[in-house]
Amino acid sequence: MAYDDLRSFLDTLEKEGQLLRITDEVLPEPDLAAAANATGRIGENAPALHFDNVKGFTDARIAMNVHGSWANHALALGLPKNTPVKEQVEEFARRWDAFPVAPERREDAPWRENTQEGEDVDVFSVLPLFRLNDGDGGFYLDKAAVVSRDPDDPDDFGKQNVGTYRIQVIGTNRLAFQPVPMHDVAQHLRKAEEKGEDLPIAITLGNDPVMAIVAGMPMAYDQSEYEMAGALRGAPAPIATAPLTGFDVPWGSEVVIEGVIESRKRQIEGPFGEFTGHYSGGRRMPVIRVDRVSYRTNPVFESLYLGMPWTECDYLVGPNTCVPLLKQLRAEFPEVQAVNAMYTHGLMVIISTAKRYGGFAKAVGMRAMTTPHGLGYVAQVILVDEDVDPFNLPQVMWAMSAKVNPKDDVVVIPNLSVLELAPAAQPAGISSKMIIDATTPVAPDIRGNFSTPAKDLPETAEWAARLQRLIAARG
Amino acid sequence: MNHLPVECPRCAFAEISLLATSPVPGVWDVVQCGRCLYTWRTIEPARRTQRDAYPDTFKLTEADIENAIEVPAVPPLLK
Ligand SMILES: [Zn+2]
Repeated sequence: MAYDDLRSFLDTLEKEGQLLRITDEVLPEPDLAAAANATGRIGENAPALHFDNVKGFTDARIAMNVHGSWANHALALGLPKNTPVKEQVEEFARRWDAFPVAPERREDAPWRENTQEGEDVDVFSVLPLFRLNDGDGGFYLDKAAVVSRDPDDPDDFGKQNVGTYRIQVIGTNRLAFQPVPMHDVAQHLRKAEEKGEDLPIAITLGNDPVMAIVAGMPMAYDQSEYEMAGALRGAPAPIATAPLTGFDVPWGSEVVIEGVIESRKRQIEGPFGEFTGHYSGGRRMPVIRVDRVSYRTNPVFESLYLGMPWTECDYLVGPNTCVPLLKQLRAEFPEVQAVNAMYTHGLMVIISTAKRYGGFAKAVGMRAMTTPHGLGYVAQVILVDEDVDPFNLPQVMWAMSAKVNPKDDVVVIPNLSVLELAPAAQPAGISSKMIIDATTPVAPDIRGNFSTPAKDLPETAEWAARLQRLIAARG
Repeated sequence: MNHLPVECPRCAFAEISLLATSPVPGVWDVVQCGRCLYTWRTIEPARRTQRDAYPDTFKLTEADIENAIEVPAVPPLLK
């Protein structure tokens, strides 16, 4: 089942008992953010939230926590809502192999219903904007799919980027924008600014659930997010042409904002309570002038709460960060079994791998740090044996406690790159990185006393399945 | 609302402008500081709207704003 827009997905969430409609009047602050914050504190299968009675607004419709549970993440991929996390990641990796799936262009995008242009642009009149965390500098668009093109190669569909970046609303037609230097849009902006040119941009809000996943997914520079969305949906992604920029944008978006990043300009932005669980302080960031807004009648404003993990952000980017690292590592090291990069967007990664020879696991750890995503994240890698499930943290802690000889198995490499937002970086953008090799040493690395491990009984897997069936049948 | 706040809770700057008013008349305004761009809704809790209740840790000075690092840095112009 592929969803072409947010609304059809919200209908499915409601049918599956995964959407909570809050019809009592709430305050825009602090209620909206606090309710979404609370979804991360009530268990793994929290529902999405829908608000339509917000004080002072007449037509506000706000959806939050749409991807904010394993059940919702499974449903977004068209899987049964109780699919275990490890299976969701494996299915994601399996569908990846269908990449690229060409998108399908449609002309009748519902966001063509209403338009604001030029002097008439006022994003406050279209969107019920609100603050998330106490210290935030303002109101944010934090779940958009932002489209930009390579100024040196504007006709290359693959180099057209679709990504999620934090965007502060700093005026009725002005936005502040954060392109992390490791991300594709920062490369587009650098090329434009080197020529003294503005960078055209399209910001799409309220997208179908797979667009939100691919927009937050670390992909190669010349890989198309739309072609990946097609692979993950199992059907071509519907796209349409944005009227001002001519960019390819999702057909099903609620709102399409177009304009330019003004060349060579920086203005104060933030702070913002980030996915790291810390505020990133005020920085001077690029600014966007909005020239056109297209929107569905009564648009649903989709936002996500983020702050101290776990929040929706972690469910949204957790699995989609595991898969590229898994694919890139396996390309050269087929011994790699599974990758858990679900903690803080992969600042810490757990990898299970078989060993080719002594010292091999440490090499896998170093490779993880030099993948495109690893350059900006992956500050700590824990390597575990092939029979340890990296998503099973008690097993990982067992491996750490039993297999690690700190003098030989902990490697610290100074002064490597990391994204500026990493709270532990010093200076911002630079960090030491650590490998913890919690695998069993193999020859010629002969250390420790690992010759007589206790293994699960041969009948255990069968019994585990049988017990699960009995529990399910009990209701 | 009848009048704008007199100072920014975050940086104490005295030029505050109006960005939006509530669709239901008279319920709230969204206002913004002309210096640090801090944006708030007038009915938010005091810890976000009043200078004396605003947390010290989030306060900004003029120097903080001027000296904030550029992310990303503006690249040199190609000749
Ligand atoms: Zn201020």
